[in-house]
Amino acid sequence: MRMSVSAKNKLWGYLFILPSAVGIFIFYIIPFVMSLYYSLVTYGKFSGLNNYFELLGNSYFLLALKNTVLFTAIAIPLLLVTSFAIALFLNSFDKIASFFQSTLLIPMLIPTASVLFVWQIFLDENGIINNILNALNLSQINFYDSGFSMVVIILIFVWKNCGFCVILFTAGLSNMSKSVIESARLEGASSFKVVTKIIVPMMSPTTFFVFLMAIINSFKIFREIFLLFGDYPNENVYFLQNFINNNFYNLNYSQLSAASVILTIIIVAVLLVTFRIERKSNYLE
Amino acid sequence: MKKVTLTIKYIILILLSLIFLFPIIYMLANSVMSSAEISSAYNTAKEGYMTFKLIPNEFTLEQFYDVFFKAPDFLNMFWNSVISTLPTVIGQVAVSSLAAFAFGKLNFPGRDKIFFFYMVLLILPIQVTLVPNYILLRDMNLLNNFLAIILPGTFSAFGICLLRQSIRYIPYETIEAAFVEGASHIRVFFKIILPQIKGSLITLIILVFIDNWNIIEQPLIYFTDTQKFPLSLGLSLLGDGSNGIVFACSVLFMIPALIVYFLGQKHFSSPFARN
Repeated sequence: MRMSVSAKNKLWGYLFILPSAVGIFIFYIIPFVMSLYYSLVTYGKFSGLNNYFELLGNSYFLLALKNTVLFTAIAIPLLLVTSFAIALFLNSFDKIASFFQSTLLIPMLIPTASVLFVWQIFLDENGIINNILNALNLSQINFYDSGFSMVVIILIFVWKNCGFCVILFTAGLSNMSKSVIESARLEGASSFKVVTKIIVPMMSPTTFFVFLMAIINSFKIFREIFLLFGDYPNENVYFLQNFINNNFYNLNYSQLSAASVILTIIIVAVLLVTFRIERKSNYLE
Repeated sequence: MKKVTLTIKYIILILLSLIFLFPIIYMLANSVMSSAEISSAYNTAKEGYMTFKLIPNEFTLEQFYDVFFKAPDFLNMFWNSVISTLPTVIGQVAVSSLAAFAFGKLNFPGRDKIFFFYMVLLILPIQVTLVPNYILLRDMNLLNNFLAIILPGTFSAFGICLLRQSIRYIPYETIEAAFVEGASHIRVFFKIILPQIKGSLITLIILVFIDNWNIIEQPLIYFTDTQKFPLSLGLSLLGDGSNGIVFACSVLFMIPALIVYFLGQKHFSSPFARN
């Protein structure tokens, strides 16, 4: 019997996703279902939403949640705006030497552990920045235990991820038809108008992708926090990831799972809202 | 006037590059200083404050010599990084390109729903599944085994989302034409899809390599044996202050990531760049 092309397509479609589906099932879905189960159980007994209520009363969890939200709400918009501005700036040159493109990616390429020593030399309580402040008779900054920890983490995040976002934005800008912009200019639109009314809307699929990448990478800031501030960072940079890791050391599976589920719910909610806003984008079409 | 604007723009460009390049320059410069020089610049017990040190008094490869001949842990951890990174890169690229073809160009029921689900997985931070994954890997007897990093990494949804985007830019007609001529799906995949998305494949290789070369979260939880630590986690253990090899270690550790990038740089592209 001969199959029609579309029936054949279906079969092949499933075959091609099979390897990834099996792996995703084992390493992502099973663990997630287990999380869900653990979050509803205390010492082997079903305890309903008890773990969740306990968690919401846990001051460390609330602190971690607050810091994570604060970080995300500042760092991601800052990253998007900075990299979009740099992309526009680069786009204004007729030709950019590829050297500059590569320098943009260097922060992402050098491993956190490598660059760590440089940060430490500058940020240490006897480090170079404090040396300069001292020479200028200004008061010292304790980067490891003050609000400045958060500032440092946000700046490192933007510094590190900026280059890749710029590359994504530049590609998006170069895909855009120049004629639309030129005709708008001919009709007397200001540069500001061109950017806000034409370029930004036309860039929305790219922006959406950059936003996704930024969120994914924002969770990886744990690497910097862990290497700079250790297992138990100060309260200004104590993030959900730290909360989860520390509970792991205490083997508190139930709280941990509940925290994971809450984190998931937040992320899925953010994602759904983004998709709704971004309906016009063709990313999911 | 135009010339002035251009000059200002170039100055901004150079300043930007300096911001991005500064740590790497600082690291390289410090890696060719002698241990004594490093110690005098950064040993606060003796000097009070650390001092800015960019230009070596004398050029020496002493640090590199010490890394290779006096720090066996470094080479061991370096190898651990290699053995946990390379298989993950190969695995993820293979699994993702297959699935991305299906999600990008084949029609089958439930395709978009499954893909949305993948997108959610993609965004979830590793910490969400850390504990159950730990239990799972423990039951599979894979703790302290590099497979604990390689297997979950292979099935990350990241590659699928990235490659799907560029596969969608391949015109339908190209693929239809091949099917009409009687080509099988496998042939279309190898002969049409893969060559067309070469740039994105290389981009994916670079990104996955860098991400795994830099891995912290998983080995921190899954490995109790410090002999198994990759450099990303172990580097900070090596450089306990006074011994001036940390800069050479840092430079050696970043070289593979830089090599991978510069080999593929020509093809590094955004998934939104149309060929």
